[in-house]
Amino acid sequence: MRWQFSNELPIYSQLIEQIKVGVVSGMFPPGERLPSVRDLATEAGVNPNTMQRAMTELERDGLVYSQRTAGRFVTEDKVMIENAKRDLAQHHIHAFLAAMFRLGFQRDEIASLLQQQTQEEGLSNVDSGM
Amino acid sequence: MLRKLLKHEFRATGRIMGPLYLVLLVTAVGANFSTRGLLEGDGWFLDMLGGLLVIAFTVAIMGVCLMSLVLMVQRFYRNLLGDEGYVMMTLPVSIHQQIWSKLIVSAVWFAATFLAVCLAGGIMVYDVDFMKQFLKGLGELIQHITGYYAINGAALAAELILLAFLSCCAMCLLFYAAMAAGHSFANRKSLLSVAFFFGFQFALQIISATVVNLLDKIGVFDLLPDWQLEGLAGMHIAIWIGIAAVVLYGAVFYFITAYCLKRHLNLE
Amino acid sequence: MSILECKDLSKNYGHAPALDHVSFTVEPGHIVGLLGPNGSGKTTLIKLANGLLTPSEGSITICGMAPGKNTCAAVSYLPERTAIPTWMSAAQLLDFYGDFYADFRRDAAEEMLHHLNIQPKQRIKQMSKGTREKVQLIMVMSRAAKLYLLDEPIGGVDPATRDYILSTIIGNYNPEGAVVISTHLIADVEKVLDEVVFINQGRLVLRSSVDEIREEKGMSVDALFREVFKC
Repeated sequence: MRWQFSNELPIYSQLIEQIKVGVVSGMFPPGERLPSVRDLATEAGVNPNTMQRAMTELERDGLVYSQRTAGRFVTEDKVMIENAKRDLAQHHIHAFLAAMFRLGFQRDEIASLLQQQTQEEGLSNVDSGM
Repeated sequence: MLRKLLKHEFRATGRIMGPLYLVLLVTAVGANFSTRGLLEGDGWFLDMLGGLLVIAFTVAIMGVCLMSLVLMVQRFYRNLLGDEGYVMMTLPVSIHQQIWSKLIVSAVWFAATFLAVCLAGGIMVYDVDFMKQFLKGLGELIQHITGYYAINGAALAAELILLAFLSCCAMCLLFYAAMAAGHSFANRKSLLSVAFFFGFQFALQIISATVVNLLDKIGVFDLLPDWQLEGLAGMHIAIWIGIAAVVLYGAVFYFITAYCLKRHLNLE
Repeated sequence: MSILECKDLSKNYGHAPALDHVSFTVEPGHIVGLLGPNGSGKTTLIKLANGLLTPSEGSITICGMAPGKNTCAAVSYLPERTAIPTWMSAAQLLDFYGDFYADFRRDAAEEMLHHLNIQPKQRIKQMSKGTREKVQLIMVMSRAAKLYLLDEPIGGVDPATRDYILSTIIGNYNPEGAVVISTHLIADVEKVLDEVVFINQGRLVLRSSVDEIREEKGMSVDALFREVFKC
């Protein structure tokens, strides 16, 4: 897993988001045991206390759960993971729209631009397929 | 903890002194061969070889003596006051243990060097005719002197050796005090250490001269002739006064060292 | 009890103050960044905590004790320069640390040395400057100490080494102890810090948690540092 951090947001909230991405993308599959907080922190190059805080928040949301002795696991609830995926998607869409509005595009213009892009990519995919 | 400090101090110094002693003994054997035959042999090659072996022996003796002195200074300076000081001075040991470990190890090497040189000398003169005769004569001379003056020769020798040994230790402490004082300044640490060394020595001479002068003035020395009459007991007393003086100034240098290391340590 | 406590701590070199009435505490489990420009008094503070200097005024205590023999047993110190005796072999260095520190985890140190491909017989003298620095860090982080005092651990190293150093610190410190990292390279360390202490010209300028700075000011500690210490 590649960890990247921006300068503006608190580290723990960036950790939450990146672990969520890990779960949604299947990097951490449902029901799988997560590495220890210290190992994850070492891998991400962050303070273990910060990683602990992120884990506590994820537990509160229910995306991970801990068993007293065995460690911490990804939820097996597929619906919850799907919801998390949608949340993340929403988040990206909002950011995208905000950026496009700043550039002066209207909603319908954005939609048609997106459609156009999708068609081009579809064609180029076919090209490269041949 | 002192034991552990000593262990690592011996490890650090033994790797230098050990091989040097070995070289000394080997050259002593060489010198022994040379004096027993090579020098009297004919042929310039054997002559030269014999000469070289004797020179090597002399150099080895000087080298060992010099090295034990250099090592004493260098271990203190590098290990406690140089970069390694960051590791050594933050060990969970007291300043006193640090100083004692350095002092004990240096003293042991001084004694070992003395013994090694004696041993090497013994090896060199082993079975050499004229040396045998010389030593025999020396022994007889000592016997005569002992008989004549009624001095306990063995006790006197032991006292003299003790005095010499303690003087060596006090000299170590003089070096330590000078280096510790010199390194408590921010700049020109080495130069100041040298200056402190001569300063301390000068102070020592002035003070001892003054004390002797004062004692003379209040008439202490008038008592001495009586002692001298009593079979040179004065000799013993003089040595013991010397020992007391050496211990006293050694102690002063010890406290200067401890004070500077504790309160005014100033690592670069 | 606080692991490290400075009360009105001052240190003068001659007449020039290197530290000027600094007060703060470091609590167990925290990783604290001691941040400031060069010559701001960071090294002086760390030397005071190690007993390598004595305070001119005020006090500094470690677990309630003034620096000395007892605190040295609880403090693991990484000096700014490489200070391990160079004549020793790696194995002798392990003996040395094992002899003097009851909290030294020899097996952990051996594993880390092995990971760097350092043979037990290899002498420190034969190692490159970078390797020596790593070996020293391994010795320091292999102790289960109460307080780690790391003076400029990432000064002048390449990015790969920097990552190695930071992960060695995070992966090995005793979670019941505290870590103080002094540095002026803030962008590189801020992710590993809980809190920061800014000092400038011997004075404490700011004390805050990293997430607080990011949450409240919306900027990284590095950006805040640049703002506070703008020339």
